[in-house]
Amino acid sequence: MNFAIEDSAEQSAFRAEVRAFFEKNIPPNLEHSVDPCDMSYEQYQLRRDLGRALGKQGWLYPSMPKEYGGGELSTDNVAILAEEMSKLELGLPPYYDAGGRMSAPTILVWGTPEHKKRFLPPICRGEVRTWQLLTEPGAGSDLAGIKSTAIRDGDVYVVNGQKMFVGSSHGADYSWTILVTDPKGERHKNLSWLMIPMNLPGITVTPMDLLATGGEGGSGSGVKNAVFFDNVRVPADHLVGGENNGWKVATTHLEVEHGGMGRLADRRVIYDFINLCKERHEGWAIADDPDARAELVDLYIEAEITRLFALRNHWLAHTNQPRTYEGSQYSLRRKLSGLDIAEKMLRIAGPLVLTKDKRWAPLKGNIEYFQRDAITALHPGATTDIQRVIMARRIGIGGREREKAANLR
Amino acid sequence: MDLALNDTQQLIQDSARDFVRGACPRDVLLKLDRDPALVMAGIWKQMAELGWTGMAIPEAYGGTGNDMTDVAVLFEELGAGPVPGPLFSSAVLCARILLEAGSEDIKKAWLPRLASGERVFALALTEAQYGWSADGIRLTAKSQGNDFVLSGTKVFVHDALHATDLLTAVRSGTGISLMRVDAKAPGVAVRALDGFIAGMSEVTFDNVRVSAGDVLPNVWDALQRAMLAATPVLCAYKVGACKTVYEMSLNYARDRTQFGQIIGRFARVQDHIIHMVNYVDSARWTTYEALWKLDSGMDATASVHVAKSVASESYMRACDYAHEVHAGMGVVREYGLTLHTKMSRSLYHCLGAPKAHRKQLETALGLVAA
Repeated sequence: MNFAIEDSAEQSAFRAEVRAFFEKNIPPNLEHSVDPCDMSYEQYQLRRDLGRALGKQGWLYPSMPKEYGGGELSTDNVAILAEEMSKLELGLPPYYDAGGRMSAPTILVWGTPEHKKRFLPPICRGEVRTWQLLTEPGAGSDLAGIKSTAIRDGDVYVVNGQKMFVGSSHGADYSWTILVTDPKGERHKNLSWLMIPMNLPGITVTPMDLLATGGEGGSGSGVKNAVFFDNVRVPADHLVGGENNGWKVATTHLEVEHGGMGRLADRRVIYDFINLCKERHEGWAIADDPDARAELVDLYIEAEITRLFALRNHWLAHTNQPRTYEGSQYSLRRKLSGLDIAEKMLRIAGPLVLTKDKRWAPLKGNIEYFQRDAITALHPGATTDIQRVIMARRIGIGGREREKAANLR
Repeated sequence: MDLALNDTQQLIQDSARDFVRGACPRDVLLKLDRDPALVMAGIWKQMAELGWTGMAIPEAYGGTGNDMTDVAVLFEELGAGPVPGPLFSSAVLCARILLEAGSEDIKKAWLPRLASGERVFALALTEAQYGWSADGIRLTAKSQGNDFVLSGTKVFVHDALHATDLLTAVRSGTGISLMRVDAKAPGVAVRALDGFIAGMSEVTFDNVRVSAGDVLPNVWDALQRAMLAATPVLCAYKVGACKTVYEMSLNYARDRTQFGQIIGRFARVQDHIIHMVNYVDSARWTTYEALWKLDSGMDATASVHVAKSVASESYMRACDYAHEVHAGMGVVREYGLTLHTKMSRSLYHCLGAPKAHRKQLETALGLVAA
């Protein structure tokens, strides 16, 4: 076995290439807001520029096929790229984009050659930003219970309804949306996915005021929105994966969202917190307290297990190996250990972790944000309870293996 | 990055699986549990013939010099039994101790005989004031001419019952020394401990003579290095054990019918099994990362402490959840689950309990000065 994202001669050459690229393309005025909701439009645009530069190289979605604008990079090189991004406090992609992370792998499995040619290259090149639209006021965990409709009318689908907890700050070009295409149809056989251009008439976006964003999608997403569709006419060829076949397509989509791909370099704030506790001020450090040390060690072990699950999923995903329960297992662990670690931080360091006050907040307020984010992160992508349901099904505890996920890249 | 087993490891896994299935079916394991002395007459010889006694020993000393990860793959399968016996104590832990702490003469004299399975070593370290740190070692030896005389008691000694030789830790002046004591020497008595306990004995020494050539003086640092290197192999045993306990529970949940349906359809039962899967995987990946660090010459200290903490807790907890799933059937000895339950408790403290490893982790993480 080899757990290292190791640099062979070829790979250290690649790392050097990546660093040289960043040297040239990271704008000097790039700033990091602790809370993604605070990111300004200008800062967002800087990230989009960087995304387009990455996309030109095939590095924005480096494991996608070259044919569609990806880089077809090896597992190790993808990891190098993600690692170098994370050193700059950036995710890959450097802004919230459900398009490359969730839609593209799904379209790769379910799209026609025509769909792939049309939708994938702009995503992979960073030309468009895409949101995913699943949740509705009456359908969270029970995704199949959505009510928003897309009714065929000649060459178009007419879309009506409301989606919640959508996207990010500063808008999107496309919304990758699951809708009811057969209101009288049988449950699970009445849904379809549409790639909806956001500039169509009849779409209204309203921001929601949330505790934090939850960050299931890579880079913290920023402000979540409610999206209203009022007789929006979407060209019929924007339906992907077959009419009323949307539940099967959703399985692939959710596999990716549920952490099937594994996230490296996640939640550095945890390790930063450990270092913070070692810092000595006027002869005193948080870690001097034996109880704090015991909690810190537990916190470290929690974080290590989560890191290793992510690493395992990353390896499984990028070597094309079959997975069953691992995606949900990682997601469940990330959610629960995140909450547990946040509580441990509070016990260890006291109300210091609750403030973003300029004078008192440690780590520029990152800990305070983590306190909120760990709680918010319990729901995106599916609640902890739903993750357990999925695990149970994939393992086949109830007697048979159901809903085997499609094999993803 | 590659988290798959290599070809050698695949072969080891296959042959170990065949062995556990063929030589250690449940009735045999139950018999060995009732009468542990039968281990040496039966499965020990087979294990030696398969070359497993020499895997962790370099070729220069009669072994096959496998990586620790190779050895761990074997032990993961043995844990699935759980296969009892002194293979870990002798061929991994004591072999490693001799390698780290022994003079060239001692290595040449004993390692080939450990590798062949002819001699069986056990580490007699723990005492009444139980613990695996140097503080717990109170036993002293009186010097008598060139030799030493040993009187006192070691207790909770793993695998002493099967041992031909006991590597006995004694306090000498400012340090800790090891003495090789022939288990048949006059004055040595080994008494297996009965109860909800597996594979542990009391060892008493009554004026036992040890010659100077059998002393490894001032070896605490080397002993610690050896224990650190051997620990993840023990963890791998727990990984395999955990996995089996999980599989037993999964199969039971799919078979057992109550309220007109299999109990695996109840969310509460599913939750128990999901906990078990999480324990298996937590133990597995922390263990194999530690092994990889060891094999590639990196500092594995923190990783080993994490692995031992996680694997010990995981095995014990997995058994707890298995009992929740199995209810009454779980405590029927003949069913076999309690072999694991007992083993999970008995190995919990072996080479240091999770609490002790967490304490050491504080140092490894730089939370306290070393």
